Amino acid sequence: MDDLRQHLQVAGDEEVKISARNCQVFYGDTHAIKDVDVDILDKTVTAFIGPSGCGKSTFLRCLNRMNDTIDVARVEGEILMDGENIYDKKVDPVQLRAKVGMVFQKPNPFPKSIYDNVSYGPKIHGLARNKAELDEIVERSLRRAALWDEVKDRLQTPGTGLSGGQQQRLCIARAVATEPEVLLMDEPASALDPIATAQIEELIDELKQNYSVVIVTHSMQQAARVSQKTAFFHLGNLVEYDDTGTIFTNPQDPRTESYITGRIG
Amino acid sequence: MTDITPSDARPTSRGTATEAVRRSLARRNRKQLVLQGFGIAAIILAISMLLILLTSIISTGYHAFTQTHIQLEVYVDPEEIPAEGLPRGGFDDVLAAAMGAHFPAVDLTDRAATRELTSILSNGAQFILRDKVVADPSLIGQTVTLKVPVSDAYDQLNKGLVQRDTAEQFRRVDDAAIARFDRLDELGLISTPLNTALITNADSRFPELAGLKGALIGSFWALLTCFLISFPLGIGAAIYLEEFAPKNRFSDFIEININNLAAVPSVVFGLLALAVFIGWFGLPRSAPFVGGLTLALMTMPTIIIATRAALKSVPPSIREAALGVGASKHQVVFQHVLPLAMPGILTGTIIGLAQALGETAPLLLIGMNAFITSAPGSPFDSATALPTQIFIWADSPERGFVSRTSAAILVLLTFLIMMNALAIFLRNRFERKW
Amino acid sequence: MSQEHIASAYDRDLEAVQAMIMKMGGLVEAAILRAAESLEKRDEEEAEAVRRADAAIDALEQQVNEDSARLIALRQPAAGDLRTILTVMKIASNLERIGDYAKNMGKRTSVLVQMQPVEGSAGSIRRMAKQVELMLKDALDAYIQRDPELAEDVRQRDMDVDQMYNALFRNFLTFMMEDPRNITACMHLHFIAKNIERMGDHVTNIAEQVIYLVEGEMPADDRPKRDRTAFETVGPEA
Repeated sequence: MDDLRQHLQVAGDEEVKISARNCQVFYGDTHAIKDVDVDILDKTVTAFIGPSGCGKSTFLRCLNRMNDTIDVARVEGEILMDGENIYDKKVDPVQLRAKVGMVFQKPNPFPKSIYDNVSYGPKIHGLARNKAELDEIVERSLRRAALWDEVKDRLQTPGTGLSGGQQQRLCIARAVATEPEVLLMDEPASALDPIATAQIEELIDELKQNYSVVIVTHSMQQAARVSQKTAFFHLGNLVEYDDTGTIFTNPQDPRTESYITGRIG
Repeated sequence: MTDITPSDARPTSRGTATEAVRRSLARRNRKQLVLQGFGIAAIILAISMLLILLTSIISTGYHAFTQTHIQLEVYVDPEEIPAEGLPRGGFDDVLAAAMGAHFPAVDLTDRAATRELTSILSNGAQFILRDKVVADPSLIGQTVTLKVPVSDAYDQLNKGLVQRDTAEQFRRVDDAAIARFDRLDELGLISTPLNTALITNADSRFPELAGLKGALIGSFWALLTCFLISFPLGIGAAIYLEEFAPKNRFSDFIEININNLAAVPSVVFGLLALAVFIGWFGLPRSAPFVGGLTLALMTMPTIIIATRAALKSVPPSIREAALGVGASKHQVVFQHVLPLAMPGILTGTIIGLAQALGETAPLLLIGMNAFITSAPGSPFDSATALPTQIFIWADSPERGFVSRTSAAILVLLTFLIMMNALAIFLRNRFERKW
Repeated sequence: MSQEHIASAYDRDLEAVQAMIMKMGGLVEAAILRAAESLEKRDEEEAEAVRRADAAIDALEQQVNEDSARLIALRQPAAGDLRTILTVMKIASNLERIGDYAKNMGKRTSVLVQMQPVEGSAGSIRRMAKQVELMLKDALDAYIQRDPELAEDVRQRDMDVDQMYNALFRNFLTFMMEDPRNITACMHLHFIAKNIERMGDHVTNIAEQVIYLVEGEMPADDRPKRDRTAFETVGPEA
């Protein structure tokens, strides 16, 4: 019943990349995330599903401290990445975000050229010593995002001129350009047509060779298609976290069952 | 498997519903027509007001764009104008002699008759000749062909503004003067070229000589000062308030005050400038620099509000994208948000400056309505500005200033339209690239 | 699972396909009983009727398969719904097989009525059929009520059927050895008994499917088996 590829992978890497312990998030007086404990594996796609407002995006944004930019947001508990608490005072969120890339719901390339979009991250972090190295990073990132062949002849044209699916892959290329270890994706295909969605999903499947990918999605089918692990959030609680195959055939919690069979919104 | 929804819609109720909709539709359409009618009427009213305004300004103002000139053959008599006496000399006598050449009947020793004869010429004519001779003393002893403006009354006569069929005692020029003028006209000495003096001359008591140069340069210095102060300060304040300031009561308080400041009457800023800049700091009166400072006070709230709106309109997705790849807060603002907000900021700034360009009251209070016959050489010299010049001319009794006032208004309007056009151009050029 | 789907048409579709299963179950139960009865009463017409009735069962199975495929394609069921659909399809397929065995009984009955009846056999077969029919009824009840205990009970009762079959197997061997003229009839009767035993196995499948439906897992332990005929030898000396 499980993903048939999974037994191939279990032998390789089962190590925990990120683990949250007793994680709480407050927005002002609202308790948005309650007591979340989860271990996110390396080189695995983990899907967060749940009804709107269940906290899955909020929790995703804790993983690269995007919530820091919201004044009223407050995070408690521990989130350990490779054993280090990312909310420790020593950790600079800017540095963390270079290690934990993020792709957003709406494709949001900078209104600059394709080349500038991809090279921006490496430039500000000083990852390239010269133009040749930067060119190489740009090409490698675009290849990883399966976009190189489509745009190699027009790197200087604006990224906003690409189609929706291409823009989203450009955003993925931009995210992988800083050599992150974790890729967070917040509903990366919800604004795309089915073909572009399929391309993004195929890409996610390839990206898990190198990264720990965490994806928030409203489409349960998408979670089922791309992920190996699925976490179901409901009203700020992590209700169930298990192998995707188990979640979709035989979930243990009645709330999970109700949600994935279309009984609660 | 088939999903059959039992049909419970009764045809009768459906029929009455349609009927009710039809009846209310007529009422709604009528309301819409009335509203449209009011809208169209309001627009027609506004356009006709604008047309009336423009027609009245243009119909009185266009006269000022030409100036009646007279051409004279002037013998620069070395006896009257000795080279060593320059720049002093009997330039008026030389001009009178040149006029007298066309009227042999006039006795040039009769001072009253001579004055009457030379009244055709502008008072500035002798200074034009003087400047010419001073610039090139070798002209002494030679005959110079000189084109000088005629005085205001004859200019009005030539432009038909003095009705010849009006009774003589109500006219500014008597029959003899008209006869003399017509004789010169017959000789082909009268011409009506474009009035470049309107732009190249500074102010003067004599309308035929008065120009806007001083006002234009004064306005330029004032606006430059205003821009250099309000633009960086306004943008800086807006960026801080919008992007960096913590959202608390204090920042709310500042925001409310800035919004209120934009609504403060401009004359209040003038009083403030008078007390602070001139009273305390001892800056010179009537100087464009002080005017610019005053206008900057007024423009800054506008720029701050426009900049904040432009910054707000940059989609959050761009900020998130930049933050997501690890840009720091100031990198996000200066490398992404600000460039995208720039067109909006520039549009707001230009509109603020256009407003400042037309502002009169604060400049009056700091003395930029002084009568100054030379263009300012620096922002610290006394000067007027376009709107205050209009104010001065509108106050002057000479008939010639009526059309010049309108002409100055047209010049001011032209600048305002150009600035607004630039703002619209910038807005369209850089609109929504994301 | 007591809640209804947000899309009520989904609920209606699921109910419709499950209603078809119940209808099919009713037809199959009737087929088993009538086949056994026609054998006991040596009623050729009734046997013929049983054979003809199988077409309706086959048609229903076809319908269940089509509707299930449609439901899977359109609704993408998950978890409990997915298990329901899978269970419905498996039950339909098992019921269809049971129907086929009943039809086969009818065929053999048509042949048997031409021959001398084998003493006592018809009654035993009828009792066995009744037992299987009861098991089927309980299995379907367990499905309706999502009752894994009842299903487990059905599973255990399959042993009784196997034992009945073992007894009949030995009986028939004895009859055939006693009088070779009985061989044809006994062979047919043996196949009928074997058919009923197989029906029991299919009923057990249904019961196991019900347990999977409710608990998400197939019963771990092996199905209890009492059919030892595969190892049975009865020498001529016995």
